[in-house]
Amino acid sequence: MSDREEIRGCVILKNLYYLVDDHTWLTVNDDATVTVGMTDVAQNMAGAILHAKAKKVGTFREKGKPLATVESSKWVGPLKSPVSGEIIEINEEIIRDAQAINRSPYKNGWIIKLKPSKLDEELKDMLTGDAAVQAYRERIEKEDLKACRHVEGFEC
Amino acid sequence: MEDFEGKRILVIQTHGVESPTRTYSPLFYAMAAAAMEMDVMVWFTMNGTNQLKKGEAEKVQLDPASDVTLKTMLEQTIESGVKLRVCQQSMALWKMSKEDLVDGVEILGATSIIDLALNSAHVMYF
Repeated sequence: MSDREEIRGCVILKNLYYLVDDHTWLTVNDDATVTVGMTDVAQNMAGAILHAKAKKVGTFREKGKPLATVESSKWVGPLKSPVSGEIIEINEEIIRDAQAINRSPYKNGWIIKLKPSKLDEELKDMLTGDAAVQAYRERIEKEDLKACRHVEGFEC
Repeated sequence: MEDFEGKRILVIQTHGVESPTRTYSPLFYAMAAAAMEMDVMVWFTMNGTNQLKKGEAEKVQLDPASDVTLKTMLEQTIESGVKLRVCQQSMALWKMSKEDLVDGVEILGATSIIDLALNSAHVMYF
């Protein structure tokens, strides 16, 4: 069985956790921290990302509060925290070159690492595997989102 | 990024559909401030008022290759949590009634805007 699915060209990795409404993904690391980023669908909707600014390391964020702001030529908005926790690391690469989010939304374009405070409880609100794919499929079709266009060098 | 949560910022827009290149940016800045957790309000007055008349904003499209119109921008601004307010006196200038306004906009008078300006951390005027 494939570990990824494409919906209108947008890649969904089945091993990640998603909050589809906020277009965020999360993975749990071996040290119990979590890595958070924007989905392929989100980077496609935003277009070429010009800037990303993150809250400071050490800042505690409740679930739903902004971790960072991301802006393209046609959109600006927050990356909302999918879980509560303390920011422990910011991806300096996306601060220097925000288009890393376009090129590699699930790998080099990760945005922030958190030390979560109530992961077990909040992870229940996120979707993973086939459930995440189905939820994203429904959203993409409901909103009739455009097919994903990937920049040169795209990886996931 | 500094923590600006809860700071109030007031954006005053005096340009309308007759000058499309001056319509998107104030809304973009307002959305950026909202994403930074500020308490943001856009105040439409003078010519700025006319973009809030139903049927007008969708006619303004800066980039023909994009499907983003001024209506899209206004909707995104509201979705981001920015409050949109319009000058009651300016509505008369454009012969607009409350029913003519797009959804999500509230009407305020001049004294209210002075009060808001004095109670905001910053005012951006366009």
